[in-house]
Amino acid sequence: MKTKWTRRLFFAAAAFAALALAAPGPVLAAKAHKFAIILPGPIEDADYNFRGYEVAQDVKKMFKIETSYSERISPADAERVAREYISSGFTIIGFHGGQYVRLVQKLAPKFPEVTFIMESSAKFKVPKNVWNIHRHYFQAFYPFGVLAGLATKTNKVSVIAGIPLPDFKASINTISDALKATNPKAELTYSFTGNQNDPVKARQTADAMIAGGVDFIINMVNLGVYGVVEAAKKSKRKVLVTTFYTDKTDKAPEHFAGTLIIDFRPPYRKALAGILKGSPGGYVPMQLGVGFEITSLGNVSAEAMKRTKEAYEKVRAGKIKPRLEMKKVMLAK
Amino acid sequence: MSLLFDISLFQLTMLMMAPLIIACLGETIIERSGILNVGIEGVVTLGSVTGFLLTYYSGSAIIGCMVAALSGSVLTLLLAYFSVTLRANQIVIGLGIFVLGLGISPTIYRLAVGVVQSIPQVPTLKEIHIPLLGSIPFIGEIFFAQNGLVYLSYFLVAAVSFFLFKTPLGLRLRACGENPRAADTVGIDVARMRYGACAVGGLFLGVAGAYLPLVISGSFTDNIVNGRGWLALMLVIFGRWVPVWSFVGALLFAYVDAFQFKVNALPQFAKIIPPQFLLMLPYVFAMIVLVQVARGAESPRALTRPYDREARD
Repeated sequence: MKTKWTRRLFFAAAAFAALALAAPGPVLAAKAHKFAIILPGPIEDADYNFRGYEVAQDVKKMFKIETSYSERISPADAERVAREYISSGFTIIGFHGGQYVRLVQKLAPKFPEVTFIMESSAKFKVPKNVWNIHRHYFQAFYPFGVLAGLATKTNKVSVIAGIPLPDFKASINTISDALKATNPKAELTYSFTGNQNDPVKARQTADAMIAGGVDFIINMVNLGVYGVVEAAKKSKRKVLVTTFYTDKTDKAPEHFAGTLIIDFRPPYRKALAGILKGSPGGYVPMQLGVGFEITSLGNVSAEAMKRTKEAYEKVRAGKIKPRLEMKKVMLAK
Repeated sequence: MSLLFDISLFQLTMLMMAPLIIACLGETIIERSGILNVGIEGVVTLGSVTGFLLTYYSGSAIIGCMVAALSGSVLTLLLAYFSVTLRANQIVIGLGIFVLGLGISPTIYRLAVGVVQSIPQVPTLKEIHIPLLGSIPFIGEIFFAQNGLVYLSYFLVAAVSFFLFKTPLGLRLRACGENPRAADTVGIDVARMRYGACAVGGLFLGVAGAYLPLVISGSFTDNIVNGRGWLALMLVIFGRWVPVWSFVGALLFAYVDAFQFKVNALPQFAKIIPPQFLLMLPYVFAMIVLVQVARGAESPRALTRPYDREARD
């Protein structure tokens, strides 16, 4: 009889222990956070996806937690990948790119024990367990409008973007405003090549623009930038270009006029710090000074550099408030 | 008028025509032997990565082009092995080659380069002005102030045309694509001819891939080919398996493509025409022309059909 009860107790204790270990209870999850980030492209691109990969490395180093990443994840695959991470015990899932915003809003209410980090273009109303990194691209591009206005010799400036995303439309608008304010004679043209990472299309676009007299090109393409740089190199006239995300000045030192460094580590650090302190959701504005820096100004006059830096500081301090028009491109008149 | 007949527009046309026609010529040789290579996009992508990496590490674009050609040939020979020796379905194998090429190329790139903050670049090929011809007003600037691979494309159009229609070997190759049994009865080794066509055609496809990083961008990206292999496949049909007509097709497509980029860059058009419409324009043009041309086009009769000497027709 005694043996029977002992056996029952043993099995009950074993079952309880198994349940306790299997269930992702809040106490256990809080003790062992795991972070994963979903990236849309390959990490060796030395551009946007590399920046996302850097976040994973940085979180591991700064917060000493287990991290993972998945690359080349299309929005259609992202839900499956996120669910796999969640079922593997990951408690914080970051989504590197505005294309995942809807997915985050769909998944977050279904997994209240998981914290999601999304990157967006607006201050959305988000579920309680979502951190929204709001990227202010439109502000960050304003100083490039000033730089272009002061550097152009032909008074023809162009923007080359890939996909007509709201962020890019808004940025073209602010560049247009800055250009008009700095050099009213300068004319701004823009083109969407249809692909952020196709250097061939970007090269064709840049060649067409340069043939039309453009001598300053502001890049809003990712890997397409290498096509633009080649077009600038082949031009008989001196053509200056800018780039963003990572510094690519070494690829054509005589043609780069400036770089908008976009570093996702600072906003992610803020979000992670908040999460580890116990805030399941929050808002991090990513703007000049927080993730956005203008560097490597060159090949332009000292005056142009000085005034670009001034514009940068004024935007950063809120003394200049760039126009926010994301729906369509409306150039300054 | 200047919108349509601008020198820079024609120069860009020639620049973008070359990879299309080189790939198209390679595919024409392969298809003329009776093998349909729908894996062309994958082969061109492999040529692109190997051409770029070898140029980067050796410092020589010639070595890069040679290795790209070789890699294109090896991958196309894989298609030949499955199609000729194993008599597998060419469409299925071709699609497999396409996926393999697209998958293996970024893997090779990552293994060679790794994760870096600044991607490797190679200097792009310089224009070579042909003496006398390059001095002809308008024509000279368009046709004879280009890089070496554009000149190679002119030469290859003439050479492949001559080979296919003026040489006994060309006749034998075409016979294998039209009626392999008849060719076999007169002593032509159909399998060997088809293997040879794949090996040579693959060389062209590899060079077409290498063209993109070595001339256009100076760097390799996953997306670099971006459907241009499929376009070359379409141009073979457009040209009705005749190199000169494919050349005309490649010129037309490259012209419309360059034209839309020019229009896209003009502020007066940007306001009224959505960029998506302009980007679509060359493909719509290609579809319309292809539908018209394909009506009377006759492909090699034995195309996609594996040849088995012992099979009964």
